[in-house]
Amino acid sequence: MTKLRPKAESQGEGPDGGYGWVLVGALFVSTSLVFGLMRSLGIFFVEFVQYFDESAQAISWISSTGLAAQQFFSPLGAALCNAYDTRWVVMTGGCLAALGLILASQATCLVHLYLTMGVISGLGWGLVFTPMVATVMANFTRRRTLALGLAFSSIGLSSFAFNPLFQLLVELYTWRGALLILGGLSLNIVPCGALIGPQRRSKAPAKVVSESGVSCASFLQRASSYLELPLLFERPYITYTLAISLLNVGYFVPYFHLVAHSRQVGFSEYQAAFVMSAAGATDILGRIASGWFSDLGHFRLIHLLSVWTTLAGVFIMLLPVSSLSGSYAALMVISLLYGFCSGALTSLVFAVVPMIVGVERMMGALGLLQLIESGAGLLGAPLSGLLKDITGDYTASFMVCGGFVVLGTLTMVTLPHYFSRKDPPPPKSLSPEDPDKGLHAELEQMHSSPSDMNDLTGEVTNNRLPEDTYS
Amino acid sequence: MSASWKQLSLQILLLLVSCRHINTKTPGPTPPPRIPIDQLPTDVRSVALKGESHTEKVELLNPVNLALECTWTGNQDKLANITGLWRKDGEEVKNSNQTVPMENDQYHLKRVFSILNEEDLGSYTCEFGSKAKIDFVLAAPQIGDVRDKPIISYLGDFAVITCKMEETKPEPSTWYWYKANGTDKEQIIAAEEPLRYEIKNEERNTKLVVSSLVEADGGLYFCGAVYAISTSMSHVELKVISFLEPLKPFVAIVIAVIVLVAIILLYEKSQSKKNSTAADNGTTDQTNTLTQGESNGPGESSSMRQRKV
Repeated sequence: MTKLRPKAESQGEGPDGGYGWVLVGALFVSTSLVFGLMRSLGIFFVEFVQYFDESAQAISWISSTGLAAQQFFSPLGAALCNAYDTRWVVMTGGCLAALGLILASQATCLVHLYLTMGVISGLGWGLVFTPMVATVMANFTRRRTLALGLAFSSIGLSSFAFNPLFQLLVELYTWRGALLILGGLSLNIVPCGALIGPQRRSKAPAKVVSESGVSCASFLQRASSYLELPLLFERPYITYTLAISLLNVGYFVPYFHLVAHSRQVGFSEYQAAFVMSAAGATDILGRIASGWFSDLGHFRLIHLLSVWTTLAGVFIMLLPVSSLSGSYAALMVISLLYGFCSGALTSLVFAVVPMIVGVERMMGALGLLQLIESGAGLLGAPLSGLLKDITGDYTASFMVCGGFVVLGTLTMVTLPHYFSRKDPPPPKSLSPEDPDKGLHAELEQMHSSPSDMNDLTGEVTNNRLPEDTYS
Repeated sequence: MSASWKQLSLQILLLLVSCRHINTKTPGPTPPPRIPIDQLPTDVRSVALKGESHTEKVELLNPVNLALECTWTGNQDKLANITGLWRKDGEEVKNSNQTVPMENDQYHLKRVFSILNEEDLGSYTCEFGSKAKIDFVLAAPQIGDVRDKPIISYLGDFAVITCKMEETKPEPSTWYWYKANGTDKEQIIAAEEPLRYEIKNEERNTKLVVSSLVEADGGLYFCGAVYAISTSMSHVELKVISFLEPLKPFVAIVIAVIVLVAIILLYEKSQSKKNSTAADNGTTDQTNTLTQGESNGPGESSSMRQRKV
């Protein structure tokens, strides 16, 4: 019976196809314009150092501010999507990101850059990323991880494309003109947001009956439900967030320090850069492969995530060991494996969230997760830098970071129902269970336009166990 | 009145006489005071030639009495005597033509040259007949990394042009900047126009900051690393563009984005209009007017009903 069922899942969480893939394309483009752009900003740093006559560290704060702002404003973006239409939030975010870059092209001092490229663009990016990821996840069930993997592969691919492109723009128009054109490119996020389609669901407001107009208490109550703050009191969510934060401390570090470590061990600049590029290539591969494999359904997503994070942690710890022998091949192999595992785990990190909190609270959950993990991420690079300064080489810092990653896996093991073969049911929502209502909702689902899928997911989830179709 | 006229004409005459001796050819720093030749330090460079020719680079900082020595083992002819000759930049040095005897199976040429200023630098060649020669290229330290791409900046903005002498080469005593004016170079004196030019010199680096750019500021700029013996030059091109240049692709992208968004929103409106009119006609029509993802619609409903049962 189950085999007759087409791609669209009867549990009705997402149609798994068709318009969903259009949204994956939109997520692909917007992710590349957010994170791919952030990763390629290094080209501008040389220009900034020369023009503003500032130290490299002061200039590097620009991208740190941008990333921190993106993660800090993620819950805000999630809350706004819960309150209003997702598409307008994303379109506004796109406009803000573009505005930040356009204003940055007129900057006359470093503080201007912090405020424009850092805060304004970061706010825009925060309003874009989490809502788009949540929307794509809501539109897929069985192919969710593959959809995410395909979309996140854009980060690696676009940084390959953007590096030479930005270099060309800087050569033709110098950094001011290049930033202006980047602002224009960032505006392409707006059509991506427009593709989301109008929503007619009423999410969090349904939970809170707001009788009084604008009173402080009711506003705070609504805000807290939009932000999904009650999640912070649920043990599974806290455990998972803690695990991902620990993961975040260590997992980025090799990207910062691998080149420096390779040079220190004695390889040439060209060899070190090549190791980095190779790790980047396997990262892209890992995202897509892990997405495809996870969706085959042989294992629970949480188990796969644990495997990838453990492997990533182990390979991070092996990185300094492999280069001890001075063999370039060993370093290259471990780096390739590390790249693959770190890409593999990124596809899964977000996909596990709806398993824990349910699809309807996913938006706010993702926002809070981004915020909390950002703090951990800020720790990682300075900590490893400090360890390197104290001990003189990167062995200790890689070991500690790998240790954090493995610690994250161990924390994940403490999730409830970790060792059961099937996923536990996600927490029920507050609306009453009504089997008839559920059937009616399913019939409605077929008659409505694809972009309306979001509003029915909440109602139908209650009546289904997510993974039981796999058995 | 005639006395004052006489005085004036005498002054003019004196002025004309002294004017003839003013050298207008080379702008830039005044040449260093000439030290008497016998007080110069001495240095020796010697090369033993194995094949037929060899080029030796000699880096000089200060005026020096340089002794150049050439030694040649000769070829299969093994002549007892051979004519030796010195050339500077291809032209024969006067009284340098001599007969060189073979001693200990070698021919030996040596001459002392006074290298005082830039004119004395160049290529010195010792020739053995027309069979073998050694070139000595005398030069001040050259500026290594020359930026081949032009520096671009906007009208009204400022531009920073830098020149750097490598760590491996000796430091210059100071730096000068010149702007190309036709075929000449005009020295840039920051003190004359402090609002427009600023020169920051730090032993090995120099920075020229040109502010409030106008179109005429574009062109070639030369930085000169000054050594006692001469000045080494390097050039950088500055291009000044208006802000309209990047504005054109920017506006093109913005227009494309607006068009895309309009298309998406209009398409959606037309779809929802179709759906709402179809809804009046009945549910069966609705399933047919659905867009991409809903082709599974009918199949879905049947399987769902099966499951329910």
